[in-house]
Amino acid sequence: MSAFEGIVQRWQSPLVNLAYRFCHDRGRAEEMAQEAFLRAYRGLGQWRKDAVFSTWLFALATNLYRSELRRIPARTVSLEDVAEPLDARASDGGLEDRDRDFAVRRAVGALPAKYREALILFYFHDMDVTTAARSLGVPEGTLKARLFRGREILRSKLPRRLAVPRLKEA
Amino acid sequence: MRRLTGQQIGNEEIERILSREDGILPSSGFAVSVMDAVRREAAVPPPIPFPWKRALPGLVVGAFAVALVLVAGVVALTQLGRASAPAPFSMSLPFISPPTLHGGIGSAAIWTALALLVAFVSVKLSMRLAPGRI
Repeated sequence: MSAFEGIVQRWQSPLVNLAYRFCHDRGRAEEMAQEAFLRAYRGLGQWRKDAVFSTWLFALATNLYRSELRRIPARTVSLEDVAEPLDARASDGGLEDRDRDFAVRRAVGALPAKYREALILFYFHDMDVTTAARSLGVPEGTLKARLFRGREILRSKLPRRLAVPRLKEA
Repeated sequence: MRRLTGQQIGNEEIERILSREDGILPSSGFAVSVMDAVRREAAVPPPIPFPWKRALPGLVVGAFAVALVLVAGVVALTQLGRASAPAPFSMSLPFISPPTLHGGIGSAAIWTALALLVAFVSVKLSMRLAPGRI
């Protein structure tokens, strides 16, 4: 039991953060992370010692988070709605950095699940394709294809107004 | 004249935004709450496994009885079908009743006894398997 307490202490922050990236709701993220720890406790016997513990734990947590979000989806907006600027005052050029970041993250949340999950895990794991693919349980090639397609959708759907404003001679 | 324009957002921009996403810190009581849940989980006794060893004789007898009833049913239906089929030139033959009806009361009594026996055995077995749980 004390050994598992060490595991909770060590991995609580990454697991809560991963959950938060999926649902963007602190309370729900902590609930999902707690359930992930409980499942890890129940399934410790299934962890094969030849696999890295963190890989096993993240795969377990990712599976749980994905199924939880399929059951009760997070609140998102459609990609078309993302195109609307948050701040009308900035609609003549570019938005503030903060608003642009927010809009991009909202757009990621509005992507179809498979692209959204690929992007979330890729950036969560510091752009490590191998780890992200293992967490999702898909081949690396599949993950790369989903990342490419997800970025393509983002780029095509995000409005030009979100782009960095540049001065142009007329 | 200079005016503001926007270019389509690029991969680098998306990468930059998504890779610098701020994290959150778990609330102070999170680890304690997780460990409480784990202790509750550990305190729950493990589920009782199904008693295959004790149930096996009952299952075998049950399966045998079901097979017996099925075979008897198929045989009875076959004989009934054969008996009721219109036979050519049957006008000259005397009426033959279905063989299933030949036994009459005797056959029905055997089947009833068998059914009662199966019911009795299954009741006894279930009482032995779950003593005092009712």
